[in-house]
Amino acid sequence: MKPFDFIQPATTDAAISALAEHSPNVRILCGGTDYIVELKHVTQSPGVVVDISRLQDLKGIEVTDSGLRIGAAVTHTEIMTHPLIKEHAPAMIDAAHTVGAVQTRNLGTLGGNLVTCVPSMDSGPTLLALDAEVTILGPKGSRKLLLSEFFVFVRKTALEPDELLLEIIIPNESLGKPTGFIKFGLRKGQALALVNAASSFRIEDGKFKNVRIALGAVAPVVVRATEAEAILEGKMVSEGLIAEAAKVAVAEASPIDDFRASKEYRNDLIEVGARRTLLAALAAANG
Amino acid sequence: MTDVTLVVNGEEKTASVPPETTLLKMLRENMDLTGAKLGCDVGDCGACTVLLDGLAVNACLVLAGQAEGKEVLTIEGLSTLEKYHPIQKAFEDVAALQCGFCGPGMIIATKALIDQGEDLTRQEIKDALSGNLCRCTGYTKIIEGVVDAYEEITGKKMPETKPRAA
Repeated sequence: MKPFDFIQPATTDAAISALAEHSPNVRILCGGTDYIVELKHVTQSPGVVVDISRLQDLKGIEVTDSGLRIGAAVTHTEIMTHPLIKEHAPAMIDAAHTVGAVQTRNLGTLGGNLVTCVPSMDSGPTLLALDAEVTILGPKGSRKLLLSEFFVFVRKTALEPDELLLEIIIPNESLGKPTGFIKFGLRKGQALALVNAASSFRIEDGKFKNVRIALGAVAPVVVRATEAEAILEGKMVSEGLIAEAAKVAVAEASPIDDFRASKEYRNDLIEVGARRTLLAALAAANG
Repeated sequence: MTDVTLVVNGEEKTASVPPETTLLKMLRENMDLTGAKLGCDVGDCGACTVLLDGLAVNACLVLAGQAEGKEVLTIEGLSTLEKYHPIQKAFEDVAALQCGFCGPGMIIATKALIDQGEDLTRQEIKDALSGNLCRCTGYTKIIEGVVDAYEEITGKKMPETKPRAA
């Protein structure tokens, strides 16, 4: 690694000040499972590395007035084992379980997974299917964004260089919403997603309501298949309609060809993934 | 330089290292603890696995400064040459390892798993060790070793499943 200065601020305010002071030659370190790997390969020093992994404001999972709040520095292991996640958003456990391996999940954080913003991130689809919001802290205070607005492009988020991600909020109306998640990888452990997907909906008077279908690793950022969602929205619940919507979802993605999988294979996985996650949500809805 | 004070294998230790030093490098080069191995250096192989405050982590993905004030357990802290830890004894009895390079990481990851105190299945063992790569054995005997260690340490019996079916 190229030499850099290392700062461990004691408070969130001190972290924001450090970012402002050293911007743009400053980077944030938290779990490190992605960024330390990057540091080993870069040819230029990042300047200053600010370690935010110990900030108490970024920890904790709790139910607040606005919904289920998850600190950005909460690890994937903490998500997998927390009773509030199990109660309110259990699909997040399935998603967290598919991240890397035990060692990666013990270090890697939910916020880090989102900020890194690679298309194959495992946390994105479920959070998008639950209409998650994020709170960003900067020198001018805090601002809230929908997660869909936070993702900009491959490895690019709405974060400014002097800002950090504080928390992820699952809004009240999404708590307990039936959700299914699936990841297709080349192996069960230590594999990036070829395609991943999450779907959610409520059932009211026998009809689909608030349908969400989110797809990962098929576009520059995790995306929603809104045309497929519209096929189901407000219609009587049926497995046949689910199969039809899953077919439509394929056209809404633009997967790449690479050494892990061809575009054609990924397109097949999108249909299968959308269908299976919708059926999983249906099974969850039927208890 | 970053001054790091931490508890390694029950003993308080201090080192002064450049900020870009990983926990693994500090353990191996400043503290003469070469049990944790440098394998892939990117968090894929698990040969550098140590316990950090009781959790299995890749020491190659932690900066030394991030371990300040924490407790680290490496393979050296598990036992002495005279008295093996039950996991090591089980691994030896079934000849779980061949070249042994992955061994310290495998054994530490196994300890983290058994320490959780949960009832285990073979599938859960495979899941817990999916971050530890072995290029010699094909894993069958490693999993046998973990099963034996789990039964020895906890007094529980692993549900009977064929290794292949699990």
